[in-house]
Amino acid sequence: MRRVFSVWIMALVIGTVFCAASNSGSAADEYDYDLVHSSVSFKARHLDISWIHGRFNEVEGKFSLDRENPAKSTFQLTIKTDSVDTANKARDEHLRQPDYFDTKQFPTIEFKSTSTKPIDGGYEVTGDFTMHGKTKKIVLVLKGGKEHTFKNVKRVAFSTELSLKRSDYGFDKNAIGPIGDEALIIIDCEGMRK
Amino acid sequence: MPEPLLYLQAMGAAAIVSATIVLAMVVALAKCVALRRKAHALGELGDTTWLSFSCVVGIGVGLVVGYGMLSLRLVWPPEKGLDRFLTISVPLVLGIELIAGFQKVPRWVAWLFRMSLAATMPRLLLHGSVYLSGTTEGWPPWQAATALVVSGALLACVWSLLSWLSERSPGNSIPLALCLPILCAGLTVMMAGYIKGGVAAFPLVATLAATTIVARLITTRSVAQANFRATAIIGVGVVSMFGLLFVGHFFGRLSTSHALAMLLSPLLCWVTELPRLRHQKSWLLGSLRLVLVAIPLLFVLAAAKRDFDRKMAPLLGESPTGFRSAAVVDPC
Repeated sequence: MRRVFSVWIMALVIGTVFCAASNSGSAADEYDYDLVHSSVSFKARHLDISWIHGRFNEVEGKFSLDRENPAKSTFQLTIKTDSVDTANKARDEHLRQPDYFDTKQFPTIEFKSTSTKPIDGGYEVTGDFTMHGKTKKIVLVLKGGKEHTFKNVKRVAFSTELSLKRSDYGFDKNAIGPIGDEALIIIDCEGMRK
Repeated sequence: MPEPLLYLQAMGAAAIVSATIVLAMVVALAKCVALRRKAHALGELGDTTWLSFSCVVGIGVGLVVGYGMLSLRLVWPPEKGLDRFLTISVPLVLGIELIAGFQKVPRWVAWLFRMSLAATMPRLLLHGSVYLSGTTEGWPPWQAATALVVSGALLACVWSLLSWLSERSPGNSIPLALCLPILCAGLTVMMAGYIKGGVAAFPLVATLAATTIVARLITTRSVAQANFRATAIIGVGVVSMFGLLFVGHFFGRLSTSHALAMLLSPLLCWVTELPRLRHQKSWLLGSLRLVLVAIPLLFVLAAAKRDFDRKMAPLLGESPTGFRSAAVVDPC
């Protein structure tokens, strides 16, 4: 009886040690992109005198946030190009065509981080940005990172802006015409802990 | 933005270059023959191998010049459907017709190459697209297989039927009739909002028409007239038409009915094989073929223009004002 008892105690101790070790090895919180409280929008120049605004309605993403070792944090975002919405159906259809996003050939725009470093008020995230079949390394300055627990769900949010030239991503220069080459992408992202 | 003047310049340049090359190559051969046989006329060139060869080279160089003038940037490796069409399909059909033009090459070998291209072209053009991605947005395997087989079969049918007609009733009306749906495809694809896809048609039309006319001029009053079948020009024309329509439909917004109408319209040339018409004068048959092919294309163009005015023109023209939802604005 004593032997059985000591085996149980040993198993309990070893199990506890393993669990503690595994917990201490991963301090990162995993978050999913909250589509309801986030947005990926953009604006581009029209005739170089005004701005056209639009957004992507279907976005997926996840990120892991390691407060103790921020270099281990990762960020990932996938935007469905077919969900482009500029508040005008005809223009949206036009933007889906091969002269612009070519959504049948390139259905997604993706960002995947490769390194993260903490900065004042957020993180500087370097990663691969893929659009229109071209991948380029970009740096995103994520501002925010405040946490809030609402209805037992931990949430954290970031905002960033990114300026890019469409011509760098293989967009046809003849199609750039009245819509400016440069586009500003604004990402406001709220994550829900898994 | 569409630039009609530039398109006309590119078409003119492509046509002139194609015609000049065909003419120069045939004249060069004539000189060689004259030196060897002491012959003095092109009329003694009964073998049309060199003419077919010249037409293929003329079309190829004309296309390079035309696309160069249009600044149609081609990417290698080709990632887009149109790039794959222009950098793989068009050179392949030119190569096949170049080989097929040699009289020593058995006909079955030439047709084996042609049918292989017809079978693989739909898969090539859809490569890497959402349709074949296997995701929920793409096609299920059975639908993908059906679409690829049906598309390849359509291309093979149109190609073989037009070549057969060319064998039965030679003439320049078939390649010229093919230029009509290619031009129509370019215009409708542009009106559907895919400008680059539509523009690609213009140098094709110019080179095909130019080489057909020059080949006709060369073979007039020569023994080659009876032998020349324009099969090479027809081959390049059919593949070009199919490629533009396929890309316009699956990547642009060209409707299935319009694409099918344009693809099948050249088959109306077969109407002239009816017993009552068959023995009419060749110029009458040629004109009739062109008219028959043009009729459905005019309907397609009218419908495409109506759709353009309703959907696309508001983006280019005057915008409405006042309290209305921008999402449903339709000034027409």
